[in-house]
Formats: sequence, C-alpha cells, structure tokens
Amino acid sequence: MQLKISEYLKSEAIMMEIKAKEKLAAIDELVAHMVKSKLVTDGKELIKALAKRENLESTGIGDGIAIPHARTNAVKDLLLAFARSPQGIDFSSIDGKPSYIIFLIASPENQKSEYIMALAKLSRLLRKHPVREMLRNAKDPAEIMNIIKENEE
Amino acid sequence: MLVSDTDQTILSTAVQFSKSCGSKLFVLFVIEPSRISRLASISHQKVKVVYDRTEENGWQLLYLVEDEAVENGVWTSLHLEEGNLLEILKRYIDTYQIDALLIKRKDESKKIFVSSPIPVIGL
Repeated sequence: MQLKISEYLKSEAIMMEIKAKEKLAAIDELVAHMVKSKLVTDGKELIKALAKRENLESTGIGDGIAIPHARTNAVKDLLLAFARSPQGIDFSSIDGKPSYIIFLIASPENQKSEYIMALAKLSRLLRKHPVREMLRNAKDPAEIMNIIKENEE
Repeated sequence: MLVSDTDQTILSTAVQFSKSCGSKLFVLFVIEPSRISRLASISHQKVKVVYDRTEENGWQLLYLVEDEAVENGVWTSLHLEEGNLLEILKRYIDTYQIDALLIKRKDESKKIFVSSPIPVIGL
C-alpha cells in the first residue's frame, strides 16, 4: 500500500509560528488549532493520548525535528499537523537540541498500519537536510505542502 | 537495554524483558552500506532502491516496537543509523550507558558476542 503524507496534511492543520515554549504546551496549542479548524472533535482525548506517549519516550528525533504521535479514537481518520517554533522547543531530543519543526500524527486505534507507515515515511523524509531547511524557511502553508509533495517518494 | 535486529519476534521479547526488568529500551536499526551494495548486486536492483526500502522498513520496525512498548508502559528511544554495526554499537553503549544487548542468534551476530564489552542476551 502506498501512502502519501501530502494527502493527509491539510493547509488548515499548519501553524507557521507556534507561541508555546514547552512541549506539552506546544501540543496543547497545536491541538487547539486543529479543534478550531474542525479537524478534531475531542481535543482533550487527543492531548491525553499524545501526553501519555511523551511521558514514555522522546518524540524529538533529532536535527530540530519532533514528531508527537498517538493512536486514539479521538480522531476519525489518519491526521497530520505541522507547526514551527522560531525559538525551538525542548522535546527531549536524542541529540539534546531543541525542535523547530513539529509534525503531529494521530490515527484511530484500528488504523495501525497506516499510522506506522505515515510515521516511517515522515521520519525518512525529515532525515533529508535540504527538506528540513526548506520547511524552516517556507513562508506559508501552501509552500509547506508543496515541499512535502515534491520530496516524498 | 538495546535491541538491534530486524526480527519482529525479538522485538516483542525485548519489550516484555524491559517491562519485567523495569529498564529503558533503546531500539537501534543499522543500515550497513556494504550489505546494501551486496543485496543490490544479488537482486539486480539499484543501490538507491534497496537503500530506500531498507530505510523505510527500518523506520516501520522501530515504530512497531515503540507502539507495543507504549502499550506495555515501557520507556523507549528509537534510533536509525548508517554505518558499521560494531562501531555504532560501541558508540551507543558508551553514549547511553547501555547495560545489556538483546540480539537474535545467527551467524552474523557471532562478532557481537565476541566483541561486546557488556552482556549480550542471544535469543
């Protein structure tokens, strides 16, 4: 099965500048944005699932990237969101550096394979230095979506 | 504890082992360029194709074990590296103060049993 990240990331799920300075506050802010955009109905349950995972692992994968993620029935379908932090947020990354780019992935409990595939594809994509740089310098949500579309395989 | 293997059965065992010991679980997937080249040559495929597929499979395995670890309340850290397996293992043991390695017993893993400075649990 071929899964395209670009098909699951909607422009209304993109925040060009997040204000939070701490990881759980950043997750709260991003989820609140998704609720406001009507992409998520049960924001509290999604935050709970994401926070549970944050307490058991580091979702900061290094190189300025964090991918908070969870499987929860708080969402109806696989969902991606993007946020950028100008000052960087401590996601307890494996390289000890702050995260400037945050991708959130959530899926219903019964979509495990799509969820794992999305995480794998996104992690692969974000290992590429030029992609990370482009995402950090993009000016608007349309550019973010284009970068992902053009660079995913 | 650190696991480095592509066998899914060992990953479940690692989660249960970490749970019973109350230890943190580091899961490491190493892409060895020499092995990729060899595989590409044997299968008559381009090196990039084999590399990309291996990397994607690696991430999938890492996230699969992470999902199971979270369900079991086990703290995990996922790592995907490229290079020489023995050198990377040594670096991880030093950097993260790993106290045991968990690997699948097979011919290629003999060198790990011989060279590891910490206990190696072979399954």
